[in-house]
Formats: sequence, structure tokens, C-alpha cells
Amino acid sequence: MPQLPGSSLAVKRISASPDPAPSIRTAGPEFAKLIDISRCIGCKGCEVACKEWNELKIEPTRNFGSFQSHQDLSADTWLLMRFTEIEVDGDLQWLIKKDACMHCEEPGCLYACPAPGAIVQYENGIVDFNPDKCIGCQLCISGCPFDVPRFSAETHKVYKCNMCVDRVEVGLEPACVKTCPTNAITWGTKDDMVALAEQKVDRLKDRGFENATLYDPAGVGGTHMMYVVPHGDRLVDYDLPEDPTAAPGALAALAGLKQLGMGVMGLGLLGTALHYLKYGPEVADEEASDPASPEPGSGPDAENT
Amino acid sequence: MSRLERFTYFERVVHWTLGLSFLYLLMTGLAFSHPRLFWITVLSGGGQTARFLHPWIGMLFSVSLGSMFFIWAKDMRLESNDREWLMAVRAYATRQKDGVPPAGKYNAGQKLFFWAMTVLGVVHLASGIPLWMPAGVLGIGPFYGGTVNTMRLLHYATTLGGGGLLIVHVYLGTVAYPGTLGAMLHGRVSRGWARLHHPRWEKEQAGD
Ligand code: HEM
Ligand code: HEM
Ligand code: SF4
Repeated sequence: MPQLPGSSLAVKRISASPDPAPSIRTAGPEFAKLIDISRCIGCKGCEVACKEWNELKIEPTRNFGSFQSHQDLSADTWLLMRFTEIEVDGDLQWLIKKDACMHCEEPGCLYACPAPGAIVQYENGIVDFNPDKCIGCQLCISGCPFDVPRFSAETHKVYKCNMCVDRVEVGLEPACVKTCPTNAITWGTKDDMVALAEQKVDRLKDRGFENATLYDPAGVGGTHMMYVVPHGDRLVDYDLPEDPTAAPGALAALAGLKQLGMGVMGLGLLGTALHYLKYGPEVADEEASDPASPEPGSGPDAENT
Repeated sequence: MSRLERFTYFERVVHWTLGLSFLYLLMTGLAFSHPRLFWITVLSGGGQTARFLHPWIGMLFSVSLGSMFFIWAKDMRLESNDREWLMAVRAYATRQKDGVPPAGKYNAGQKLFFWAMTVLGVVHLASGIPLWMPAGVLGIGPFYGGTVNTMRLLHYATTLGGGGLLIVHVYLGTVAYPGTLGAMLHGRVSRGWARLHHPRWEKEQAGD
């Protein structure tokens, strides 16, 4: 592993913050993790390394007829190797997906989050949750096109892979990268990883995987965890969305409506204020008696609230 | 001095449970939807507490909404007279009382406000539950993803409608028409107030 530069945790985006990106430091490296699925032997060493480094609780599991360790990600399991067995051209294929946060350039979770500072994105590409600021609403789960964040019923907050931000900061690679015995996971600057991925894709094509492709979806501005996928025509079978988006229609409409929202409330307040200034209070005249029902003894009312 | 009873003790309790819970939901809801207003959650014990309380206050709101519906729905039925009142709403807003047909216990605007708030309240409840329990409830769900995002849009759109109407309601119920807030506080209004705002209702009460 070549020596990596450390990376200052300059903040690029903050959830629910109307203010512009706070960082003035833009020269730092942008990192990416590259998963070469064709080299994965399914040992799950990365899962263990993830638990160890991040000191996550061990979750008891059971055999449910798959090579997979757990059935799903959880607040305590940030990384799960998913195994899918399918037939491709008459051959049994073992599709593996390293399910964890993709660290999107355009993070749907961050855009969906209503709590200021609960989700931050650093200049180095890492999207990190800050449980201290999290209000436990779980809206990030619905904003994430990859269904990654998980809610903890214990703390009522949401958790996910943080790309070992505490290692990356001091120039180390994430724990899963460090542990992988086949180099199926590599780590470096985003540019280097894209270049490496292109070589890998070419090599796979030479070997007959003509649909081999790099998964770095444009709908979320690219990701900082990328895949080299041997069967690029079968993304769905890998459980990789074909066209993920950080701004699903409903949330884009919501953002638009919010622009309008304050205007509606503001005009309402302004309108009533102007109405009052023009017409003032409409005070009942207690003296003027209606000829149809004369009211003896009704004087000016003191109850003009 | 002659005073008319406009709202019973029970009606007032129901109305203020509804009014204050709505106000709480509006304030915290706007805090969740507008980062610049997030500080409002501090008034409610912080973000996580506000997020915990909002749906529970929503339950209180829903129960009081249901109660209000049962006690007031029959008085809020629209009549032929209400059509004419609505045609004259401009004259009403500009205080040209001559052009406005006399109202009964509630004028057409109040009736429509009642119906609008009832419908919006039901939509608030229906869209709020998937946001509250996105992992599913009573065997329905989970709602994560598209359902939650659509419900957010619906919930917020409903809030805009309800919030806008509330501004007008509070304005008319307080500073615009002196004596009206008293109707909802201690239940009674003066003869003059009734004659001015609800002449047909005032006549019905003539016997008192
Ligand atoms: C009737 C039962 C209600 C329930 C169960 C409910 C529940 C919820 C929940 C769980 C959220 C998500 C909050 C978050 O995670 O940030 C929410 C958001 C919100 N609520 Fe309610 N609510 C209810 C009624 C209301 C009412 C009456 C109002 C307005 C007066 C309101 C206004 C809002 C607003 C504006 C949001 C933010 C929407 C967004 O930006 O996505 N809610 N509500
Ligand atoms: C929190 C601020 C509120 C204030 C100051 C307020 C005040 C009043 C007053 C003074 C009345 C009596 C009107 C009359 O005698 O004709 C009234 C009636 C009524 N209020 Fe409210 N109210 C508030 C909130 C709400 C909310 C949130 C709702 C519904 C969701 C509501 C629904 C009604 C209805 C349906 C009536 C009877 C019809 C009408 O007067 O429009 N109020 N309110
Ligand atoms: S994969 Fe999901 S949780 Fe990770 S950055 Fe993208 S939207 Fe956020």
C-alpha cells in the first residue's frame, strides 16, 4: 500500500443548513474505495474488521440457507456481504455485493435530514452521521437510494458506515480495505480508483465478461465506494439500483414547495396586518337597537377583548 | 346587561385542545421543515424531544378534531343562504355590511373553515402516521422510501393550507372582531356583538 496523505476533515455539506458550504479548503484529496467483485472470495474478513475497528456489538445470527452472515444491515452491522445465487447462461453465478454506505457525492440522506449537523459530508468524500445531533426521525433512510442507514431502537438514532473516517483522517485506509486478503477492496484518490477500475473492466472484458462495468452512478453525482461489476447488465441481481437519485420526485417537489411555503405564511401575516391597518377592529355598537328586537338596557360593552 | 351564551364549557375545552395542539404541531413542524426555524425545537426540549412529542400531540389533535366534528358538524351544514354570503365575501372583507346576507350561528366562511380544517386534519393524521412509524404499524408497512417521501410532501402541503387558514382565523377571532375571543374564552358574547356578526342567530336567541 503506498503511503496515503492524511486528510483534514474540512466540511463540504451539512444537513439542514441554509448557509453555504463552510469549507475554504478545497485542495485536499478526494478518496474512494473500489470493490472488485470478481476478486472477492466471500471470506467476510471485511465484516469482522469493520466490527472490530468500529467496536460494534456482535449480533447473534443463524443459518438461513445462505452463505451470508446476517440477513440485513443493522445499527450494529454497517457492512454486510450479500450473496445471491442465480443462473446466467446456464451457469450458476454467485453474485456478491458489499452492502454498506456508498458515500455519495450527492447524498440523498443528507438532503432528506431535518436536523442541522446530524449528517455531514467532508471534502474528502466521506458522508458521516453525527448521532449527537440526530433527532431519530429516520427520514434519511427514505432519502437514501441504497437503503443503507439503520435505526437503533435502543438509542432512537440512525447509524451507518463512516468509511473509518478516524483512520482516513490520519492517512490510513479503512479497516475493510486493510484486511482484505485478495485485494478485492482498494483505496486511494477518486481519480486513481477510477483509472484502476477502467483497467480492471478492460481485463474482465478480455476474459469474456463483455458487460463488465464500473458502478459509479451519475444520479448521485458518483460515489466514494465504487464497484467493478462483472455482469454489468445484471445490476438488479446484485441489488444495485440502475439509476439511483439523490432527489426523488416527491422530495424535489417538497423542496420547491418549501420555497413557496414561507412566502405563503409571510403574505398571510402581511395581508392580515395590512387589513387591520386599513379597517381596524369592527366594534359592535351596543346602543343601536335593531327595530325587530329592541334590547332594553344594553349599554356599551366593556368586554371588547 | 344581556349576554348570550355562544359556546359551552365542553366546546371551549375541545376548541382549545385543538387550537393549542395545532399551534404546537405547526411550530415544531415548521422547525422540522425549515432549517432556519429549527431553533423552535429548543422551546420544546430539543430536537429529539420535539420529534418524539410531535406525533403524540398529533394524537391529541386528532382526538380533539374528532370531538369538534361530532359537536359542531350539524351546525356547520351549508344552506342556500351561505351561497349568497360567499358571493358577497368581498363586501364582507371590506366591511360593507349592507351587501352581506345576515349570518346564522356561523357564517359561510366559518363553516368552510370548519370543513377545510377537518379534511386537512384527517390528511395530516393519515400522512403523519407513516412518518411516525416508517418501519410499519399494525402489520402495514414498512413505509421507507417512496411512501415516506410522498407523505412528507402531502404532510407539508397540508400544513401550508392549514397554517394559511389559521392566520386568517386567529386574526378574525382576536383583533379584527373585539368580543370574539371572549366567546371562546368564557363562552359569552354581548347582544351588540351577536347582532353585528350573527344577526339571524341573535334573533333566535331573542327569547333568552
Ligand atoms: C395528526 C397527527 C400528526 C402526526 C402523527 C404527525 C407526525 C409527523 C412526523 C412523524 C413528522 C416527521 C418529523 C420529522 O421527522 O422531521 C412530521 C413532520 C411534520 N409535521 Fe406532523 N404530524 C401530525 C400532525 C401535524 C399537523 C396538524 C401539522 C401542522 C399544523 C404538522 C406539521 C408538520 C410539518 C410541517 C412537518 C415537516 C414535514 C417535512 O418537512 O417533511 N403535523 N409530522
Ligand atoms: C390557536 C389559535 C386560535 C384562536 C385564537 C382561535 C379563536 C377562535 C375563536 C375566538 C372562535 C369563536 C368564533 C365565533 O365565536 O364565531 C373560534 C371558533 C372556531 N375555531 Fe378557533 N381559534 C384558534 C385555533 C383553531 C384551530 C387550530 C382550529 C381548527 C383546526 C380552530 C377551529 C375553530 C372552529 C371550527 C371554530 C368555529 C367556527 C369559526 O368560528 O370559524 N380554531 N376560534
Ligand atoms: S449510500 Fe445512502 S447513506 Fe450513504 S451517502 Fe448515499 S444516501 Fe447517504
